[in-house]
Amino acid sequence: MLTYVVRRLLYGVLTFFGITIAIFVLVHSVPGDPLSFYIGSHGMGSLSHAALDEIRHEHHLDLPIVQQYGWWLRGIVTLDFGTSFIDHRPVTELIAEKLPSTFILNFVAFLVAALIGVPIGLWSATRSGRTSERASGVAFFLLYSLPSFWVALLLMDLFSVRFHVLPLFGMTSDNYLDLGLTSKLADRALHLILPVVTLAYAQMAIYARFSKSALTEVIRQDFITTARAKGATSAAVLWHHALRNALIPLITLLGLTLPYLVSGSVIVEEIFQWDGIGRLYFDAISQRDYPTILALSVATAVATLLASLLADILYALADPRIRLEGK
Amino acid sequence: MWRITWRRFCRSKLALAALVYVGVVALVALSAPFLAASKSSPIPFGPNEIDVANRLHPPDAQHRLGTDELGRDVLARMIHGARVSLTVGLIATAMSALVGSFLGALAGFYGGAADWIVSRLIEIVLCFPFLFLVLAIVAFFGPSIWTIMLALAITNWTSEARYVRGEVMRLREMEFAHAARASGARDYRIIFRHLLPNALAPVLVSVSFGVAYAIVTESALSFLGLGVPLPTATWGSILSSAKEFVEYAWWLIVFPGLAIFMTVAAFNIIGDRFRDALDPRSD
Repeated sequence: MLTYVVRRLLYGVLTFFGITIAIFVLVHSVPGDPLSFYIGSHGMGSLSHAALDEIRHEHHLDLPIVQQYGWWLRGIVTLDFGTSFIDHRPVTELIAEKLPSTFILNFVAFLVAALIGVPIGLWSATRSGRTSERASGVAFFLLYSLPSFWVALLLMDLFSVRFHVLPLFGMTSDNYLDLGLTSKLADRALHLILPVVTLAYAQMAIYARFSKSALTEVIRQDFITTARAKGATSAAVLWHHALRNALIPLITLLGLTLPYLVSGSVIVEEIFQWDGIGRLYFDAISQRDYPTILALSVATAVATLLASLLADILYALADPRIRLEGK
Repeated sequence: MWRITWRRFCRSKLALAALVYVGVVALVALSAPFLAASKSSPIPFGPNEIDVANRLHPPDAQHRLGTDELGRDVLARMIHGARVSLTVGLIATAMSALVGSFLGALAGFYGGAADWIVSRLIEIVLCFPFLFLVLAIVAFFGPSIWTIMLALAITNWTSEARYVRGEVMRLREMEFAHAARASGARDYRIIFRHLLPNALAPVLVSVSFGVAYAIVTESALSFLGLGVPLPTATWGSILSSAKEFVEYAWWLIVFPGLAIFMTVAAFNIIGDRFRDALDPRSD
């Protein structure tokens, strides 16, 4: 087990370097140096040559490219991503400020999606071949194909504009600060509903499809037939033999979902004006705020990397065949 | 094998309906310059014909799907938008399929260092959250239909690469591959003449999903204002202007969204049923 974990971690470190190199190369293959972003966001006339040189020096842009990469990497490791071109605050501070809202939104969406999706998927696997199974399969697919920005607009049109039951966008109402504690909580919860639904429906469909195919896969195997042949009831076979094995592949899905707790969704946060990481990234992109773009690309990619490491290790813990592979 | 697969595919009425629907959309997209151009065409409006007097006009006999905030006919814009969606979807996916199949085949055939490098590359690309990399590429290199297609190809070649890698690994140990090698065929001939054609079917499944991904992502970019530059009509950009008029113009939301949804769903369903038809276990 230990060798497996160590090997996996070493790969992780390599991938980390790959990620940083990929981002660095991408940014530096843009015509003009990153300073042109700075000028783009501040207006050309306002800066003298000396001032430009100073900014260039401050961001290490006057060094050879390999040293620039070194400085940048050092910044990443010490969590110092420099200051934003737009509001001149440390990027790390900006991220820390937006992270909680993204985390809450995506955590609730994840809970809703998993708690509804997994049971539905498992249930439909036990109805293999029946109309309800086929119908639910098609339904998952259609749900999954719904573009989230369209669903968001439809939900807003229906619940906010026509029926006035839910707030149109934002995280809190205008009078939030005047409310008592319980009304504050209620206000926040109301603002969560539409974004959560928009995030959760597609995830739910993925969870349902995934758990359905996992259980179907297990049910086909010989040891299930053996258990049946020995006279176990279908309920016992399902609960004791099939289900536990079917849940293992869900770890992979968990590894794929976890990163969203950190990165959020650009589309949903932009539509609902949810002040989180996705929106920060989109604003940085539209204003060409180069340090923020770099920082968020690295931070979210590393979060994905860590989640997949975690998933692999959990998988190996749950399934000995994985960790013994290659021995 | 193709005939059996086709017969199994046809057993699903839904898949056939999706195929017919895609065909119709393709025809509409191809004939857009004749369908909606001027007074004499079947739909008597061009996609960029501004008529401010009739702005935000609800659907009626003249404007079948209403007009937008500049009085442009929504149906005409949607017909032309189909061109953008299908072009981006097909070309971006073709690029990613070519790159993905090539790298996947190298990794699967040679194993060892080649496999290691390609696998690490895939891992790196997969580490970026959905849209982050696409947005960065499009923003850095300026939004145009080509940067969008390139960004989509860069983020999506990994699925084809993984499919082909697995298939080629399996196929290279089969007897016909050994026979080709024994009769003196060079590596590239074995890969491109013998192995890749046999890996075509799973690639087509992945291409079908890839087109769906490309269409929905292009619409999302247009929706966010970073898509194909205005005034080109795209489904996403009609929805984007609908954002401002949620209260007044339901038709701006419903119709283009429906077009995106149905096209994406059709490609997803085709991919799914085709995969089932290829799988000998499913019946």
